[in-house]
Amino acid sequence: MTPVQIFITLGGIALSLFIAWFFWLAPKGQTRVKAGAGGVQEVAITVKGGYTPDIIVVKAGQPLRMRFTRQESSTCSEMVLFPDFSQSAKLPEGQEVTVEFTPDKPGEYGFQCQMGMLRGKLIVE
Amino acid sequence: MVKDPVCGMEIEPGTAFATREHMGQSYYFCSENCVKQFDANPHQYAHHSSQPAASATTGFNPDSSLLQVELPILGLAKEGQPGGVLIRSVLEKLHGVERVVMNAKAGIAVVDYDPETIKILGIVTAIKKTGYQVGGAQKRIGIENIRCASCVGFIEDELKATPGVLNALVSLGTQEATVDYLPEQTTLKELNTAIEGWGYKTRPAASEEPVDQQQAAHEKEYQRLMRRFWFAALVSIPVLITAYPKFIPIVKDWSMETLRLTWFGAALLTLPVLFWSGSDFFTGAWAALKHRAANMNTLIALGTGAAWLYSAVAILFPGIFPEGTSEPFFDVVAVVIALVVLGQALEIRAKGRTSEAIKKLMGLQAKTARVIRNDVEMDIPVEEVLVGDTIQVRPGEKVPVDGMIMEGSSAVDESMLTGESLPVSKKSGDEVIGATLNKTGAFKFRATKVGKDTALAQIVKMVQDAQNSKAPIARLADTISGFFVPIVMILAVLTFVVWFDFGPQPQLVYGLVTAVSVLIIACPCALGLATPMSLMVGIGKGAENGILIRSGEALQTAQAIKTVVLDKTGTITKGKPELTDVIVASQQSVLSDELLRLAASVETVSEHPLAEAIVEGAKAKGLALGKPEAFEAIPGHGVIATVDGRTVALGNLKMLKRLNVGLGDLEAKSDTLANDGKTPMFAAVDGKAAGIIAVADTVKEDSKEAIAALHQMGIEVVMITGDNQRTAEAIARQVGLDRVLAEVLPEDKAHNVHLLQAEGKKVAMVGDGINDAPALAQADVGLAIGTGTDVAIEASDITLIKGSLKGVVTAIEVSRATMRNIKQNLVGAFIYNVLGVPIAMGVLFPFFGVLLSPLLAGAAMAFSSVTVVSNANRLRGFRPKFSAK
Repeated sequence: MTPVQIFITLGGIALSLFIAWFFWLAPKGQTRVKAGAGGVQEVAITVKGGYTPDIIVVKAGQPLRMRFTRQESSTCSEMVLFPDFSQSAKLPEGQEVTVEFTPDKPGEYGFQCQMGMLRGKLIVE
Repeated sequence: MVKDPVCGMEIEPGTAFATREHMGQSYYFCSENCVKQFDANPHQYAHHSSQPAASATTGFNPDSSLLQVELPILGLAKEGQPGGVLIRSVLEKLHGVERVVMNAKAGIAVVDYDPETIKILGIVTAIKKTGYQVGGAQKRIGIENIRCASCVGFIEDELKATPGVLNALVSLGTQEATVDYLPEQTTLKELNTAIEGWGYKTRPAASEEPVDQQQAAHEKEYQRLMRRFWFAALVSIPVLITAYPKFIPIVKDWSMETLRLTWFGAALLTLPVLFWSGSDFFTGAWAALKHRAANMNTLIALGTGAAWLYSAVAILFPGIFPEGTSEPFFDVVAVVIALVVLGQALEIRAKGRTSEAIKKLMGLQAKTARVIRNDVEMDIPVEEVLVGDTIQVRPGEKVPVDGMIMEGSSAVDESMLTGESLPVSKKSGDEVIGATLNKTGAFKFRATKVGKDTALAQIVKMVQDAQNSKAPIARLADTISGFFVPIVMILAVLTFVVWFDFGPQPQLVYGLVTAVSVLIIACPCALGLATPMSLMVGIGKGAENGILIRSGEALQTAQAIKTVVLDKTGTITKGKPELTDVIVASQQSVLSDELLRLAASVETVSEHPLAEAIVEGAKAKGLALGKPEAFEAIPGHGVIATVDGRTVALGNLKMLKRLNVGLGDLEAKSDTLANDGKTPMFAAVDGKAAGIIAVADTVKEDSKEAIAALHQMGIEVVMITGDNQRTAEAIARQVGLDRVLAEVLPEDKAHNVHLLQAEGKKVAMVGDGINDAPALAQADVGLAIGTGTDVAIEASDITLIKGSLKGVVTAIEVSRATMRNIKQNLVGAFIYNVLGVPIAMGVLFPFFGVLLSPLLAGAAMAFSSVTVVSNANRLRGFRPKFSAK
C-alpha cells in the first residue's frame, strides 16, 4: 500500500464515522414550546426542505397548535402527517395551515411528509 | 302610500289587507299576521307609528337617517312571547334604537336604529346578553397578500359598514376575513367588493379550499419541473458528444487540444444545469443538513456535485492526476439531473391519478343552486349557499346542499350516498341530502348544512384523512428509510476507498465513478412511496364502492380477518317486522284476504311494531281497511274490536283460551311458523278460530349471497343475536350460517367477540353502529352498516354506506387487493435497493468485469419511484365481486 492509499483509507473510515456521528449520534437542537394565553401551546413551523423547528418539545394534556407554512413548490412536502394522532393537513404553498390537537400521553412521536422524506419529532413530556 | 305600523312595509291604502281605527287614527296592514299583532297590543304600534307625524313639530325627520334591520333570532320561534318581550325591552333601552318590533312566530326582530349613534354590532351584542343568539351566516374570505396592519382596520370598517354585516374580523396571520352577516341582505359578492375596494384580491379561504387548487398546484409544479428537464436534456446532448468523442464521426478526429476546449465549454454549460435544473436538490440537501438529516436530495446533490468538482479539477489541473485519469465526466451531471427531474415530473402526473376517487366524490356535488332570497330567485355558486337559504329544486336537478323540504314533494335518487337503488319519496318536513338527484317533482327546501358540514363533504374529509393515515406495514419501511441515506453515504465512501486501494488502474476514476453511482442509484423515495400511494388508491377504491375505510390500520387488519360476526337484526335482516303468512283455519269460511283485512283494521289503532307490520302488509295488498269499534287491548294477550259488525280478536294462545275458542289444527301450524323464526298471531272472528297471521323480521335479499361469498373466501361467519335459539337458528338456516350465538344480551356482545378473539382469530364485527358500538370497538375490525349520512359513526373502522352485507365482502376484497399491492411495492423497492446498490459498488466487476455507468444508475433511480406509483395505479382497475351500482 502506498502512503496515499493509507491516507485515503484512514480518511474514508474517519469520514464514515463522522457521517454516523453527524446524522445519528450528535444531540439535536430541540425547540421547547411554551403555553401562551389560554393554555394553548403554539408554534410556527416553516416547511422548506425540512421542518424548522423539527424537534418540538411540548407538555402533555395541553392543546397544541402548530402553524405550518410551506415555502417550496416541491410536491414531496405538500402534506404533513401525524400518524400517531391520525392528523394530516394539506399545505398549499405560501399559506399558513394550522394543525391542532391535544397530545395526552408523554412520548416521542414522529411527524413527516407523505413519503417520509422530511421528518420531525414531537416530544411530549 | 301608507306604512304598515307592524312590519313597516309601504302599502297602498286601497289594497291593504285590513284597516283599524285606534285613538282617532287609521292604520293599514299588509297581511293577516300584522293585523293580528296590532290587535293584540294596538297601543305599542300606535305609539311608535305616531312619531313620524311628530316630525312637523320637532323638525326631526327620521327617514333621513334611520335604518331598519331584520335580525333572525335563534330559538325565539319555539319559546315565543316571553323571550320576545325581554329582547324588546333590552333593545328599547339602547341609545339610538328608535323602534323594535318582535315577530316571535317568525323568530325575527325588526329594529329601526340611528346608524350615527349605534352600530348593528351593538344591537347584536345587546341581544346576545339576553341569552339569545342572532342567526346569520359566517363566511371566511381569503385576502391575497395582505401585509399592512393598518389595512386590517380599514377593511374591517368597510365590511362592517356594508348593509347586513353583523361583524367582521380580518386576520393578518391567516390572511382571511371572517364575516358574520345576514344572508338575506347581502351576498358574498358584495363582501368581496368591499374588500376589493381597498385594492386587495380575494380568494376562497384556505380552510374551504377545493381540491382543484391542489390540482392546479400540481400542474404548475409539473410545468416547472418539465422546463428544468428540457433545459438539462438539451445541455446533455453537446456534453455527451464531448464525453464520448470516440463514437461520434467528426468529433473523433478532433485533436486533444480542441477536445480540452470543448470540455471547458461543457463545464460552463453544466453549471446552470446544476444550479437551475438541479437547484431543488441542493437547497433541499442544505435544508436537510441544517437539521442533521439526509434524504434523496442529499444523495443526488452529493453525487452530481462530486462529479462536477472532480471533472473541473481534472481539466484545470490535469498534471496533478496520474496519466489517463484527467478525463472529465460532465455528462453524468447533466444526464442524471435531467433524468431525476423527469422522474419527479412523471411522478406528479401519476400521483394525480391516485386521488381520482376523491375527485369523483367531489364531482357529485352540484355546481350551482337556485336560491330564493327576498322573493327573488337567483342561481348562485353552491359555495355561497348559506344555512337558512330557501332553495328551489326542479326535476332532474341535483340537490345542492343538505336541508329539509319546506314545500312540494318528489322522489329523490340517493343511491350515490346510501346505496338505496329505488328513489326515495320525500315530502314536506323530510330531509334531503346534498349531491342526490331529484327525479320527479319540484320542491323548495331550507338549507341546514352547507360547505364542509354536508354529508358529502364529511365523507370526502373522512376518505382523505384515511388516505393520509399510516398502515402498520409502512412502519418498517419508515424505520429503514430513516437510516437509509446516511448508510448509503457511508457505503459510497467505503466503495471509493476499496476501489482506490484494490481496484485496477486508473484507481481514482474507478473509485469516483462507483461512489457516484452508489449515491445516485439508491432510492429512498421508492421505499417511502410504496405504502402511501397504494393506500391512497385502495381507500379511494373502497369509497367508490360505498365502503368508507377509516384508516390504513383498519385496511391492513381487514385482510387478515378469519371470522366475521354478524349482528342479526338490521344487518342480516331488514330490522323491521313484515307480514309473512296468512293461514286460514280449515273449518272457517273467511277468505285469506278478508281475514287479513279484518285483522289489519283492528290493528290500525294499535301502536305495536307487529301491528304496524300487519297494517302495512294489508295496505300493500291494496285492501281497504275498516274502522274498529269497541277496541280493547288486553296486556299480555292481544287485542279485540268490532269491525263491520264482526267481532275480531287477535293475539297469542292465551288470548284464544281466554275467549274459549277452540284451536283445531292451528296450534300445529303455529309451531311450524315459530320454527321458521316467525311470530304467529291467532285470529278469531265472531268467536271462532279463523286463522293465523305471522310476521317476521325478514332476511335482506342479498344476505345469503354475501355470506356464501364470505365462506368462499375462507372466512367463518357467526351470527350474534339477543333472540331465542329457535328464531336464531331459523334465520341461520335461511342464509346458510356456520355458527349461531343466540340469547346474547346487548351488553354481552362485546364479551362474545372477545371470546372469539381468544380462539386466536382476527375477528370482524358487523353491526349497526349505535347498539353495537362496544362490540364494534372490541373487534379487530368494526364494520358499521349505515347510510351515507352516518359517517360520524365513531366506533367503526369501516362504514358500509350501502346497507348490504355485500359491502363486507367488498371491504375484505379491497383490503386484500390493496395489501397485495403494497407488498409488491415494498418488495420491489427493497429488492431494487438491495440489488442496485451492490451492483453500483461494483461487486460484479471481479467476476464479470461489469460496472454500472452512473448514467444508468440515474435512469434506474428516476424510474424506480415512477414504477412504484404506476403499480399503485394498477389498483384503480380493481373490480369487486359484487359490483357497485
